[in-house]
Amino acid sequence: MSERLHHSCHAMPEILAKRLTLNATQRFQPAWLQLTKGGSDILTVGGAWQHYFDVSPRLGTDVSEACEVLLGMLPLVDDFELSQIQLVDGQYTDVIALCDHDSDWLLFCDVSEETEKFQKYQQISNDLLLLQGQHQRTLNRYVGSEVVRRDAEGGLSIKAKGERRVISTLFTDIRGFTPFNESQDAQVVIETLNEYMTCMLDPILNQAGMIDKITGDGAMAVFGVLDSEHGCIDDAFVAGKQILKAVQTLNEQRQKQGLEQLGVGVGIASGEAVLGMLGTHHRRCFTAIGPHVNRAARLESNAPAGDILLDRDSYLALHQPIDCLPMSLNLKGIGDTCVYVWHHKKTNT
Amino acid sequence: MIQKKICVLGAAGVGKTSLIAQFVYSKFSEKYLSSMGVKIDRKIVQLESQQVNLMIWDIHGEEKFKKITSSYFRGASGVIMVADGTRPDTLSVAQNIFQRVEQDVGNIPSVWLLNKVDLEDQWCMSEGVVKQLNEKYVSVYQSSAKTGENVEQTFFNIAENMLNV
Repeated sequence: MSERLHHSCHAMPEILAKRLTLNATQRFQPAWLQLTKGGSDILTVGGAWQHYFDVSPRLGTDVSEACEVLLGMLPLVDDFELSQIQLVDGQYTDVIALCDHDSDWLLFCDVSEETEKFQKYQQISNDLLLLQGQHQRTLNRYVGSEVVRRDAEGGLSIKAKGERRVISTLFTDIRGFTPFNESQDAQVVIETLNEYMTCMLDPILNQAGMIDKITGDGAMAVFGVLDSEHGCIDDAFVAGKQILKAVQTLNEQRQKQGLEQLGVGVGIASGEAVLGMLGTHHRRCFTAIGPHVNRAARLESNAPAGDILLDRDSYLALHQPIDCLPMSLNLKGIGDTCVYVWHHKKTNT
Repeated sequence: MIQKKICVLGAAGVGKTSLIAQFVYSKFSEKYLSSMGVKIDRKIVQLESQQVNLMIWDIHGEEKFKKITSSYFRGASGVIMVADGTRPDTLSVAQNIFQRVEQDVGNIPSVWLLNKVDLEDQWCMSEGVVKQLNEKYVSVYQSSAKTGENVEQTFFNIAENMLNV
């Protein structure tokens, strides 16, 4: 077998010859291999092949001996291009495979310089992408993914000086938490709280609610800040129902494990409120202020475990009729108030 | 010795290069270095029946404006699909790539990894998602390139599966 390498490319298809010329100014000159048609034996070798192959390509031998990158791709059945293949020395090459009439061709073009340049931009871009994702996940944990998404789209704008809107406010709180807290180890308390808080907060976020504050064993949420097709009171009521259902499921699991079960009560009131940002330039937080907010808090504190207490405005604004018991309650600081009680019926889960 | 080509695929930053570095060199680096194009590593694994020379293609991460070209899949005998367990969106990226692999190469063995399981406090893959993946694909692992959890199992699993085809 002749070991002499042919350095001629006169039979090369025009398209490859053009590419060869284009790449002639690169750090390393291109190299090419001419192969038997429909086979993988080397007919001719040319260019700076020493740069691209660990093993010297010998005429008449199978090309995959010199070029492992082609494993499983031979014989060539159609044209293809492999971009930015990293060589052992860290340089990059494009590999262009072309099927011609009488023979097949492989062209190797050094693309190290462009790849190195582009790597810097890609590194910055990916670093930013990962950082953005990190920030988004952190925000999601505190204000909910829907709020983060809408804020990113510009759909969430609250004027710092305040904005009047009709909203529904929901308060929810664990019943019997204080004696539980006092009787248990702090680690048990925090683990238990996290379980119940998941039941309480996820439904709020799922119904386009914004968590205004978390109060240790409870939360205040407002509905109507984020757009919703259902209306703020319907969203708040559905969230309340889902909270009670999730708590029931959790309690059933805890019962099986012999753990203490806690109840949750919910209060909902609706009305006009001023939404605004409170605080300084460095630390601001969203809040809703209005007479119905206090009413919602009082309703929640009167709600037995497993019940939702609604004020009259909320009840009348619901689009779907619900099975409620009307009653009069004397709310602290407010006086006699007409309220509607919805009781969560235990279901087999 | 039998040689097999494996493509390691997934979104950018899911840990493909780190998984390979852990398997081939038993190394892990916290520093993220974005991969370009393809880097090929090799490792011989001893299976019960025989030795297999694995040619592992570390393919750049799929990005919005830089899709993985299907020519990279040519000649592949198996794929390792990697998603980042702390970024749920990377799972759908992996599933999209896998659809293209199936279209171009057909039904070849695959192993699915939910990587970065060591980041417990940032883990976002619910039990439901893991269950769905297990129902859909034969081999699904929760892995960590950092601790090496399930890394070796992944490559041995795909090697076995490729030989059994």
